[in-house]
Amino acid sequence: MSTVVVLTPIIIANWPVIVAAVAGAASALGLVAKETVKEEIKQQQQAGEQTVEVELANSEVLAQNLAAGKEVVLTKGDIEIRVGRDERGRCRVCAKGKGRTKAELKQIAEEFSQKMTQCFVYNRVATELKNKGFQMVNEEVMEDQSIRIHVRRWVD
Amino acid sequence: MAQHEVEIVISKTGEVKVHVKGVKGKGCLAYTEWLSKIVGRVKDQKLTSEYYEPEVKSRINLHQDLKTGQ
Repeated sequence: MSTVVVLTPIIIANWPVIVAAVAGAASALGLVAKETVKEEIKQQQQAGEQTVEVELANSEVLAQNLAAGKEVVLTKGDIEIRVGRDERGRCRVCAKGKGRTKAELKQIAEEFSQKMTQCFVYNRVATELKNKGFQMVNEEVMEDQSIRIHVRRWVD
Repeated sequence: MAQHEVEIVISKTGEVKVHVKGVKGKGCLAYTEWLSKIVGRVKDQKLTSEYYEPEVKSRINLHQDLKTGQ
């Protein structure tokens, strides 16, 4: 053994990269894209419909070529999740659903944020490992939903 | 040639645990620095016994006695 390091992820990426992570998280959690990219529309909140917003603290969506208000809208049953970029450039996840409590929606939004972060990190790491010439030995999803990647390479 | 192995575990929250194997000495730090630039910032780091082992360096000394016979 040589060294063990624990890293806290920071999401800094342009919009297409964020959308790729959103698509991965949506697929894993059974959400369907309602509209892939949408201009923000001020919608009147329906009666009994709660809304909760979660901001990804260590995130920055690079604003190149990104029109204000662009977001991805996902649905699963009565739940709607919107992922976009807030005024400060951070990634924002908003969950809403009729008849759901704020606590439930917060849990849904946080679960989605975590899955999205995991997908983002996986995409990034897998790409860089390949570029560095590593060969995949094994890859598996563990019981606790973590992803284990084992790679190797030969060096002179 | 040496075999370098890296085991990466991405938790459900996105936190990443990297275990570099087979790299002796400070060479392993190059991998962890590279991965920290890709992922984010270092939360915790532990050096294991292999880190303190000397890096393998090969040197061959050739010595030849020439006798002319004259």
